[in-house]
Amino acid sequence: MAYTFSFPEEVLEHVFSFIESEKDRNAISLVCKSWYEIERWCRRRVFVGNCYAVSPMMVIKRFPEVRSIALKGKPHFADFNLVPEGWGGYVCPWIAAMACAFPWLEEIRLKRMVITDESLELIAKSFKNFKVLVLTSCEGFTTDGLAAIAANCRFASFIFLISQVLNLLDFNFVFELVLNKGHKFESKLCLCLVNLRELDLQESEVEDLSGHWLSHFPDSYTSLVSLNISCLGNEVSLSSLERLLGRCPNLQTLRLNRAVPLDRLPNLLRRCPQLVELGTGVYSTEMRPEVFSNLEAAFSGCKQLKSLSGFWDVLPSYLPAVYPICSRLTSLNLSYAIVQSSDLIKLISQCPSLLRLWVLDYIEDAGLYALAASCKDLRELRVFPSDPFGLEPNVALTEQGLVSVSEGCPKLQSVLYFCRQMSNAALNTIARNRPNLTRFRLCIIEPRTPDYITLEPLDSGFGAIVEHCKDLQRLSLSGLLTDRVFEYIGTYGKKLEMLSVAFAGDSDLGLHHVLSGCDNLRKLEIRDCPFGDKALLANAAKLETMRSLWMSSCSVSYGACKLLGQKMPRLNVEVIDERGPPDSRPESCPVEKLYIYRTIAGPRLDMPGFVWTMEDDSSLGLE
Amino acid sequence: MSEIDMAVIKPEMMKPYVWLQTSDDSIQQVEQEIAMFCPLICQEIIQKGMGSSKNCAICLPQQVSPAMLSLILDYCRFHQVPGRSNKERKSYDEKFVRIDTERLCELTSAADSLQLKPLVDLTSRALARIIEGKSPEEIRDIFHLPDDLTEEEKLEPLRNITADPRIRLLNRLYAKKRKELKERERLKNIEVEEEHVDERSVDDLLSFINGNEGEPKGVKTSKNKKKNRRKKEQQKNSSSKETSELDKKEVNGHDIRHQSSEAERISESSYLHYAEDGTSTPKSDDGDIYDGIDPALKEKIDREVEDFARRLNSDWPERMQELLSSGQDRKTLLFNTDGFLRRHACMFSLVLQYFPFSIICFLAEL
Repeated sequence: MAYTFSFPEEVLEHVFSFIESEKDRNAISLVCKSWYEIERWCRRRVFVGNCYAVSPMMVIKRFPEVRSIALKGKPHFADFNLVPEGWGGYVCPWIAAMACAFPWLEEIRLKRMVITDESLELIAKSFKNFKVLVLTSCEGFTTDGLAAIAANCRFASFIFLISQVLNLLDFNFVFELVLNKGHKFESKLCLCLVNLRELDLQESEVEDLSGHWLSHFPDSYTSLVSLNISCLGNEVSLSSLERLLGRCPNLQTLRLNRAVPLDRLPNLLRRCPQLVELGTGVYSTEMRPEVFSNLEAAFSGCKQLKSLSGFWDVLPSYLPAVYPICSRLTSLNLSYAIVQSSDLIKLISQCPSLLRLWVLDYIEDAGLYALAASCKDLRELRVFPSDPFGLEPNVALTEQGLVSVSEGCPKLQSVLYFCRQMSNAALNTIARNRPNLTRFRLCIIEPRTPDYITLEPLDSGFGAIVEHCKDLQRLSLSGLLTDRVFEYIGTYGKKLEMLSVAFAGDSDLGLHHVLSGCDNLRKLEIRDCPFGDKALLANAAKLETMRSLWMSSCSVSYGACKLLGQKMPRLNVEVIDERGPPDSRPESCPVEKLYIYRTIAGPRLDMPGFVWTMEDDSSLGLE
Repeated sequence: MSEIDMAVIKPEMMKPYVWLQTSDDSIQQVEQEIAMFCPLICQEIIQKGMGSSKNCAICLPQQVSPAMLSLILDYCRFHQVPGRSNKERKSYDEKFVRIDTERLCELTSAADSLQLKPLVDLTSRALARIIEGKSPEEIRDIFHLPDDLTEEEKLEPLRNITADPRIRLLNRLYAKKRKELKERERLKNIEVEEEHVDERSVDDLLSFINGNEGEPKGVKTSKNKKKNRRKKEQQKNSSSKETSELDKKEVNGHDIRHQSSEAERISESSYLHYAEDGTSTPKSDDGDIYDGIDPALKEKIDREVEDFARRLNSDWPERMQELLSSGQDRKTLLFNTDGFLRRHACMFSLVLQYFPFSIICFLAEL
């Protein structure tokens, strides 16, 4: 007899209320019929990794009491302009359905989706308790939509991450609305994270509106927690900013933009010594001792500061000004800082508590060696290329840098590394040193670069990575790779969830190894690889266990796509081809791009002219 | 005034013990002060006057066995002492729930029946920790739960609704209607149409705003909106492809051109319009659409998919052979296509294409 047989439903619900992760919730719902029922009524948070995998009505039907929803739209490769504009990802039907079904909805989080002003207005009108709106890499709206949200929502938090140009005048208006509504609430925190790209200054009669929106914060507004203007191209009124900072005691995050001069930074810092995260503005000015000591003193005053970023146009002699706080730093983002290795070494050696470092390859092998010596707690390292399009190396950064970090930093879990040369030996060493790696993304700048010592493919090197790093979840490959590397990945990559492949492999066997071997694979994205029909068709069933598969510039034929679509009704097989209808070419002709994802909502109906979903057998011929 | 009432009013006369009957019908004597910690017992004593003697022992709910009562009383005995620090209490609690799962479940049940919320919370959290990170099988094993979901339900609890042709029909009707509206709008003057749409939403905003803030802002809004609209038209026509993919210093490497074309906006608002008309659709059709799929159709589809999957996956040894032997052919074929030559001919454009692939992580601080 079940141990929980005497539990009233409310008690089980109460137990479930302490379980939040999607994975656990999904596990609970699969235990038995009664748990499935109870769980679905008390699920408050839903995450839909692919907005086309399920229809809004299905979600509503299954989870009637949802308060928070997160949706993702376009495939990951959309970030690299591989997904043509107009592909899809419209959130409109979701908002419309939820407006009726979830009157108590509080949070909407969208990533890579298209949201219109009408949808924003509908959100504003329909959800009386709406609190959080997060739009990451979304598009399709204007400040009109944002104004509607600002005007109508009595929310406690208002967050939006925008990635498009906004008109300055309109933005001022929205901002005013946000603040005028925001400061009236009794809620303790009114978080307004504004991550703007650019405020368009084309209005000719506007004189200096650059700081205008900042001055809209009324004097009574004191609840700002986070302000991020790091991407903003325009200047802001520093006096307004200073006043604002001075009266917001809860401010934890301040990320300034490049336009904020260094000599004004101390004044800003003095107004908010409780800061935890700071992004500086431009980090150089005329070298003057009093400016330096002022800056150093201001930094010293920030006893809680843990994270630094910004550092545009660094003048190295000003770097020592941050030394007073280096010992507490856990996160350092120097990906915009053009600083010589020697200066970086001096800085990094003062940061023993560092957990995360993002830096340009100016750090060179010497700098990484120093990093390995000083930062024993390091969890994450990202090294970006300073001159990716140059044909010759401009810095002394090789595979050795990464090897030394793997030796010296026992807690290293996540790596993103751009370099120009790599060897199997180095990868082997890294793998043996760091079996606790969970994310490994290596980007050898030139495609198909072999092991620079032996001139062999890098198969065994990456093979060592997957073999030794048993918990590896995410892997990106580069360099010269044959089918062999995929054999290793299929054999050892049992926990691998996401794999990105480009310019690799020799034949279908490569793809077959991955699809048949990687038990936990969720997302596979492939470009420019010689993979064709056979592997795909042989592993059709596997595709239903994954979220999605992207293949572009490969050799999958239209005929295979049709077959796959026909036989697998729970997959949407989308052929994306800007050359025109695939029907107009022979069936054996490879398609340009292929996006396959599992779905229980059937083929989507909002496709643009260059996307065709392969019909399955049971579809109705209504069109 | 009854004896019990007096006992409550005059504390010096309060009996120190109360009689409780557990699930096995045995009766025990328990310090009243401790027992009163449990709301249910408290209620029985005060409101119903029970428990003052063996004859009128408070009958505890069925979930409370003597063993459970003992545990619960231990808990109450510890926590009702006022002087304890939070740290002490927490430490006690942590040790308290270190019992086997079966007893933990019994305890949760018992505590719930006695309405002892803090203990219910404590045990519930402990159970939650047991459940976290486990697979459905493991959970079933631990809690001795029946495995009564069908294979199909396990595979996809929502599958029952998936293949329903009526949902497909509904979706297609929506799409058809949307396309129709889109077509109709294209024939009209777009400029006029959209201004009209905007005016309405501005009015909505205006009335809301005017309620609090007065005229001037509202006027400003509509003026801005018109300007904004015209400017967007210009922007659309003259914008060139974002070159930010080449500039790694941009935070967002992807194209930021305005996605929404006017026609799209209109069609989407029409879609909304349609949805508004049919707001009762999800509710009224609930019964029809989601119950009872055509079982024959479902069977057919299921069987086909299973068959195909089985066929493909079972003869993969043969396929492997096939793949291995044809692997060579494919290679030579590839090396001779234009595609390959084209690629090699232009390394620079390759790097350009390849770049965004890797640049992502770098660019996306999100």
